[in-house]
Amino acid sequence: MHSGKNDSELWIAFLKGDQQVLSLIYLLHVNALFDYGCRISGDHDLIKDCIQDTFFTIIKNRKTLSPTDNVRLYLFKAFKRKLIRELQKKPRFLQMDTETAGRFELNFLKSFDHAELEVTEEQKERLSGALNTLTLRQKEAIYLRFIRGMNYHDISVIMDLNYQSARALIHRAVGKLRDTLHGESEFFSRALLFIFRCCRT
Amino acid sequence: MDKYERYKVDDFLADDYFLHWILHPTEEEQRFWEKYLEEHPEKRKDIEEARFICSIFQVKQKKLSLNETYEIWDGVLQSSKQLKTLRWIPLLKYAAVFLLLFLSGAFAYYLYENRGQTEHFELATGTVPVDDEAKIILSDGSEISLEKKESKINYNSSGNQLIVNNDTIRQNQLAGTEAINKVIIPYGKKSVIRLSDGTIVWLNAGSQLVYPTAFLREKREVVLIGEAYFDVTENKSKPFIVRTSTLAVTVLGTKFDVSAYPEDKFVEAILESGSVSLEVTGKNFLHLNKKVLLKPNQKGSLNREDGVMKLTEVDVSQYTAWKDGMLKVEREDLIRVLKKVERYYNIQIELRDPLAGGYLISGKLDLKNSPEEVLNVIQLTVPIDWARKSNGDFIIVKK
Repeated sequence: MHSGKNDSELWIAFLKGDQQVLSLIYLLHVNALFDYGCRISGDHDLIKDCIQDTFFTIIKNRKTLSPTDNVRLYLFKAFKRKLIRELQKKPRFLQMDTETAGRFELNFLKSFDHAELEVTEEQKERLSGALNTLTLRQKEAIYLRFIRGMNYHDISVIMDLNYQSARALIHRAVGKLRDTLHGESEFFSRALLFIFRCCRT
Repeated sequence: MDKYERYKVDDFLADDYFLHWILHPTEEEQRFWEKYLEEHPEKRKDIEEARFICSIFQVKQKKLSLNETYEIWDGVLQSSKQLKTLRWIPLLKYAAVFLLLFLSGAFAYYLYENRGQTEHFELATGTVPVDDEAKIILSDGSEISLEKKESKINYNSSGNQLIVNNDTIRQNQLAGTEAINKVIIPYGKKSVIRLSDGTIVWLNAGSQLVYPTAFLREKREVVLIGEAYFDVTENKSKPFIVRTSTLAVTVLGTKFDVSAYPEDKFVEAILESGSVSLEVTGKNFLHLNKKVLLKPNQKGSLNREDGVMKLTEVDVSQYTAWKDGMLKVEREDLIRVLKKVERYYNIQIELRDPLAGGYLISGKLDLKNSPEEVLNVIQLTVPIDWARKSNGDFIIVKK
C-alpha cells in the first residue's frame, strides 16, 4: 500500500494518525541505526534498547512532531542523543575501557584493492596506519559521509558542528589518507600549495 | 554541463551526486558518469582515486537478525500500548516509565552480576562470533581447532588427557587445582563432549561451554551460552550445575536440555528423565532467588525480560531431536523455526513479509539435508517461496 512512497511521505502519513506506517519507516532505517550504534558502543542490548526507545518516543510525541523531509536525520540525531546519554549513565565499573575515553569504530577493508590503481603492499600498510591515527570525530564524520552517504548539512547536525567545520573535518581526514597513499613528498608539495593558497586569499 | 571541469579528487569526494553514484548507483547516474568518463578521459585518474578512497570503508555492516528486528518493534508496540491504557492515570504513567527504564537497565546487568559467582564466567561472556571457527581453548590459553562439522572431545577420568576427534592431547595441570577448558562451536557446527566424570554433553550450533577438566570441588559446575543436551553421570555427593546468564540448573544425575542463546528472549530447560531444580540467578528484586523443581517431560521457560518462569508439559523429543540431526516442531511460528535453521546451517534467512512469520508449522525436518531441501519441505506446509540472493543469503516471501 505504501511501498512506492519515500520516507517523508510515510512520515506525514504517520503524523496524520496512521500508526502502521511507522513500522515501514522503522524497517527502512533500523539496520543503519544499529550499525551506527555498534560503532559507538559494544553493548548490543543497550543499542537495541535505544532504538526501541527512539521509536517509542516518536509514537508518544506524535502530536507535537512536525513534518520533515529528512526522516533519517531526525532518527540519527534522536538515537545518538539517547545512546550517548545512556552510556554516560552507566556506572563506571560497567563501562568498557574504550567507552570511558569515547570510541568510534571505523573498520576498513583488510584487502582493499582497486582494479585500475596499483596499490602496493607498502602503501596498504601505511594506509591502515594512517586510518588508525584519525581522531574519533574524523572517524565519525568519515563514517557518516562515506558509509551512510550523508551530505555535509546532515553530518554537521548530527555532530553538532557548523557546516564549514564538518566539511573541514572530512577534508582533513581524506587529505591525511591521500597523503599517505602518495607518500611524503606529495605531502610537502600539498602543504606548500596550501600555504600558497592561504597567502593568496 | 561541466561543473566538474576543475574538480580534483577532494572535490569529487565532496560532491553528493558523485558519492551517491559510488554508494547507491541508479541507472541514470551510471549512464551519466559513464558518458562523462568517455568525454573526459583526463578526469579518469582523479575519479578512480576518489572511488578508491570510498571503497576502503565499505566493510560488511552490522545487521540485526530478523528475530531481533521484530523483537525491538514488538517492544515499541508493547510500551506504546501501556501508554494508551495509562493515559488517564498520570501518576501510574510515571511508574510505568520507571519500570521500563529499570527493565532496560537490567539487560546489561545480568551477565555482570553473575560473573562474581564463579570464575568460569570471566571466560564465558558475550555471544559466539558467527563466523568463528570451532575450537577448544585449554587452560594455558592455547587453542585447538575442531575442524569437523561434528567433532568429538573425550576426557579421561583425571582430566589431564583429552582426545579431540582422533588426536590425543595432554594437559599439564597443577595438583589440586582446576584447569578450565572452553569449547566454542559456531553456527553450522556441533560437538559432543565427554567430561572427566563421564557426563556427556551435546553442544548445539552457536554455543559455548566452559568447564573444569576435572571436578575437584564440592559441586560440578559448568557454564553454558547457547544450547546443550546433558546426560549427567549420577553422583549424589557432587551435584552437577549448569549455569547460564540468568538460570542455574542443578541436578544429581539426569538427562535434560538447556537452551540459553543470548539473542533469545527465553531461557529454557527441558527435562527428559530424573529430576532437576531451576534457580533464577539474577540478583535484582524482580528476580528474587526462585527455585522450581522440574519433572520429566516438563519445560521450564524463563522470560528474561519480566523474570517470569513458566512450566509446561512438552514432548521432549521435539527439543532434543537436534542432537540426532533432526528438527521436530509442533505448532511453532515459522519465524522461530527459521531462526533454528539459520543457526544450524550458519546461513542468513530474510523474511520479506513479516506476516508470514506467524505461520504455524508442525512436523519433522531432517537437518542432514541441505538448507535448500529443508526450505523445500517447509514450503510444502506453508504458502511461501524462497530464493537465494547473490550474496548467498536466503529470502522468503509469501506466495
